Amino acid sequence: MDRSTDPAPGRRRIGSAVAAVAAGVFLASAGEAHAERIGELVQTDPWEQVGRFFDLSDENTRGLRVAFAGALFFGAACGLLGSFIVVRRMALVGDAISHAVLPGVALGFLWGTDKDPVAILVGATAVGLLGALVVDWIQRTTRIKQDAALGIVLASFFAVGLCMIRMIQNGEGAANISGLKTYLFGDIGSLDRADVATMAVVVVATVSLVALLYRPLLAISFDRGFAASIGLPVRVLDGLFQHFLAFAIVVSLQAVGVVLVSALLITPAAAAYLLCDRMHKMLWVAVLIGMLSALLGVFFSFLGNNLPTGPFMVLGASAVFLLAYLFAPRHGRFTKWLRRRARRRKVRDENAMKAIYRILEREGRPEGGVGIAALAAERGMPEAAVLGELHGLGRRRHVELGDGEVSLTAEGLRRARKVVRNHRLWELYLTNEADYAPDHVHDDAEKIEHFLTELEVAELERQLDFPQTDPHGQPIPGLKSV
Amino acid sequence: MRDSEPCVGTGEGGGGGDTPALDPAGGGVPALEVHDLTVSYLKRPVLYGVDLAVPPGKLVGIVGPNGAGKSTLVKSVMGLVPASGGWVKVFGRPTRENIARVGYVPQRESVDWDFPVNVMDVVLMGCYGRLGLVRRPGKAERERAMAALGKVGMEAYSRRQIANLSGGQQQRVFLARALAQECDLYLMDEPFAGVDAATEAAIVTLLGEMRDRGKTVLVVHHDLATAREYFDMLLLLNMRVVAFGDTQEVFTGELLQKTYGGRLTLLSEMADTIARQS
Amino acid sequence: MSAYDIFVEPWASHASSYWPVAAMAFFVTAACGLVGNYLVLRRISLVGDAISHSVLPGIAIAFILTGSRSGFPMFLGALVAGVATTVIIETLHVRSRLKQDAAIGVTFSTLFAIGVILVSVHGGHTDLDLDCVLFGKMDIIMDMPAVFAGLPAVVLTMAAVALAVGLLILLFYKELLVSSFDPNLAASIGIDPRIAHYLLMAVLSIVVVAAFTSVGAILVIAMLILPAATAYLLTDRLWVMMVLSVAHSLLSALGGVHLTVALEVPTAPAAVVVGATLFLLAWVASPRHGLLRLWLRRPAPGGGEPAGEGDTAVA
Repeated sequence: MDRSTDPAPGRRRIGSAVAAVAAGVFLASAGEAHAERIGELVQTDPWEQVGRFFDLSDENTRGLRVAFAGALFFGAACGLLGSFIVVRRMALVGDAISHAVLPGVALGFLWGTDKDPVAILVGATAVGLLGALVVDWIQRTTRIKQDAALGIVLASFFAVGLCMIRMIQNGEGAANISGLKTYLFGDIGSLDRADVATMAVVVVATVSLVALLYRPLLAISFDRGFAASIGLPVRVLDGLFQHFLAFAIVVSLQAVGVVLVSALLITPAAAAYLLCDRMHKMLWVAVLIGMLSALLGVFFSFLGNNLPTGPFMVLGASAVFLLAYLFAPRHGRFTKWLRRRARRRKVRDENAMKAIYRILEREGRPEGGVGIAALAAERGMPEAAVLGELHGLGRRRHVELGDGEVSLTAEGLRRARKVVRNHRLWELYLTNEADYAPDHVHDDAEKIEHFLTELEVAELERQLDFPQTDPHGQPIPGLKSV
Repeated sequence: MRDSEPCVGTGEGGGGGDTPALDPAGGGVPALEVHDLTVSYLKRPVLYGVDLAVPPGKLVGIVGPNGAGKSTLVKSVMGLVPASGGWVKVFGRPTRENIARVGYVPQRESVDWDFPVNVMDVVLMGCYGRLGLVRRPGKAERERAMAALGKVGMEAYSRRQIANLSGGQQQRVFLARALAQECDLYLMDEPFAGVDAATEAAIVTLLGEMRDRGKTVLVVHHDLATAREYFDMLLLLNMRVVAFGDTQEVFTGELLQKTYGGRLTLLSEMADTIARQS
Repeated sequence: MSAYDIFVEPWASHASSYWPVAAMAFFVTAACGLVGNYLVLRRISLVGDAISHSVLPGIAIAFILTGSRSGFPMFLGALVAGVATTVIIETLHVRSRLKQDAAIGVTFSTLFAIGVILVSVHGGHTDLDLDCVLFGKMDIIMDMPAVFAGLPAVVLTMAAVALAVGLLILLFYKELLVSSFDPNLAASIGIDPRIAHYLLMAVLSIVVVAAFTSVGAILVIAMLILPAATAYLLTDRLWVMMVLSVAHSLLSALGGVHLTVALEVPTAPAAVVVGATLFLLAWVASPRHGLLRLWLRRPAPGGGEPAGEGDTAVA
């Protein structure tokens, strides 16, 4: 086997992940505890609470450190696996699995009389995987489509879980009721060290899985048929992924709740999807957003003592998503709007400068002032509107406004020539190379003149063999003049 | 050394007594051999008793009407859809044992072109089969991917996000990925669908070069008008093999009529009846 | 518990007191099931799930403002929230590269989270708490004064909603059928598929709101999909499917009440469990599409098609 490639980067990545987890465990366990859980830290003054939240050295906020570590762990695991879910269009599969684990949680409670994280992990994971299997099975053996299959499994399993929970509550003491309740809407305050330790194990395993098998996972996510055709064990990888997905869901349950845990998988990853164009970057960003959302949830749950944690984490993630949706550098709605606006202004400005240039050209003088009224007539616009545009151009020093007339500056003239040159070259190209009639090419050139790049213009000129005049016989400004 | 994960089923491998002797060198062994292959979808047969032996070093077009099972044949050879009968051999061995020698180019629409990867990432996937599960692509793989991009005229686009490619460019990226696989047999599902004329010409040239280097290429093709000039051999398919042979011999009015026209509709009616009865 | 205790005793001693609950359960599942047929056929079941989650903030706000759990404001709040959900989902996935599934996931979890927070902040009300969101509260119907035929007003309202849904579907049967099956054809003959879509969503929101107090926010998806999916396995005709889905609703309502009495569990999840069992039965034993039939007919491994059929096809 010629191992020409160096496997070290993979090890390094796992190494740094392990270090991060170790730091989290240290955070959770250093020193002697005063309050094990943040739920026990009751304060009435919200500002004092805020102060305590950020004062990690306070001995009384020991429990907060546990919550912190937990939030970082499951936020990371959810972000990591959620990214694959989003790009594979499995978002609602994640939702279905996360609802379907409920009977498993109830079983876990039945197993041990007290809350036992391992029993719950095993029970819930098993039932979650069963749910995924049933979804698959319904689709394969009937004509029911994926959406309905997911709905059936989600709701049926969930209903069974609810019935079991109620039966447990009917049968046993009140201590269990509160324990089970945290699994529905999440209560980070109920996390103890055993829970966080379980999370740490799951997170290390998840990060190792993704670091080790990143490329095969990428391949089956992008193109399953192809991945199978090059001999990747698609079924095994799918099964592995689903197992880890179930683990991540189950360890997050207690803090986020069955009902909303899927949001922590989907939303941070969806935000990352809007922000990134490469999968490996998306993974990092989703992990960061996942951790941030979880921390925001901890913060708010700390402020309001009796509120469930899950919804706040979800809202944290949603807020980040909204920001990404609006302000993502390339795909954001607001960014796109800004770009469109800048483009419209560029077109308007260039048209104004072009009009001035053409008037000068028609009158046969190289430079000088042009009357505002003549310019307005040339552009078919009211004078006031033209004047408004010219003020903007003046500020950018492309024109100089005189008394009732306007003249181009050197820079303005250069830009005007460039646009005219683009326009006429394009008209010529359409007429000569694409066989358009000369009277059909103006409107098209009107649009394209603003967006031709210098490379494209150079190529046009080369193909047209450096022409001097356009199809209407007007001179094309030379390269030197612009 | 090649990594051959036993993961892709080729349907039923039970050919039994009529298995030809193994000849790993490939001399005289067909590049692709299909015997009595039957594939059903929800009990309705899509392919019925397909027999086929493709000699190495040929450029083969698979033509037939919509629903004739062209894509199904390719997928079934790759083991992507289970067969309900028959067997498939690639250079004398079942596909999954010889998977490193077969390259598959899926239909362009089969993937999500908004996926967060760039052109290089996609082409590098062609090397994943050889790398196995854990190893990462290194310099050698990158160079091979770059060379493959060069052959399809896309070096300049290696860092481009795939969403920003035209249909023809996307198809070229898929072909580059297949080239990076360095296989001996290629199966391509509609590589000409929805591409511009320049890309179509480039692909045809590329296929010819591949054939000249001794590769065997099977191409699912939907355009009869160009089939005659593009391919050495034609497979006329309509649920079963209507004809397979050199293009001049097979491209006749009678055989085409048989493939596309009246008489075979009976076969698909029978398939419906079978589906209804079972 | 003897078999008598579990199967017979509930009906012997509780039949009259649970009559309103059974009626309510039936009207809820029937109304949901009728709408659900179109969700399943249009492959948008999970939009139903999304809406049933995201009406919660609408309901909570209306409840907080008026302090009442019934009446017009709540309908209005939920309707606004429901239609807003569909609009947001559309906007997200048409205007960005986000796919529909992720758009649905992001939207409904956000709105639901807001709803849960509102409900918990204003906790302490017995009428609207997290238990209600999860399990629904069907039992309280028993304590309400009867207005007509032994049924309290809320049940009669639900009956009216179910009837209205049935009538609407009857009235627009053709249009819904065409726009579900082939939106392009619908558009070409003058039925705007978008209007059909949004109308369906509006009806869906109304049904979901009407069902909310009885079955909560999460289990509604089961009421919407299980009847239709079960019926879909049993028939190939739309109108038969509708009739069967109502029959499914009836059976799961009765079974749900039965479990409520026998096992002391809330009616809504119990009805869903019964409905799921019925689905399971149909899945295994459906005469045309059941697993049993599939297994019995499966060709022997490696044997290809059964010989008889092979002969006919090759000839």
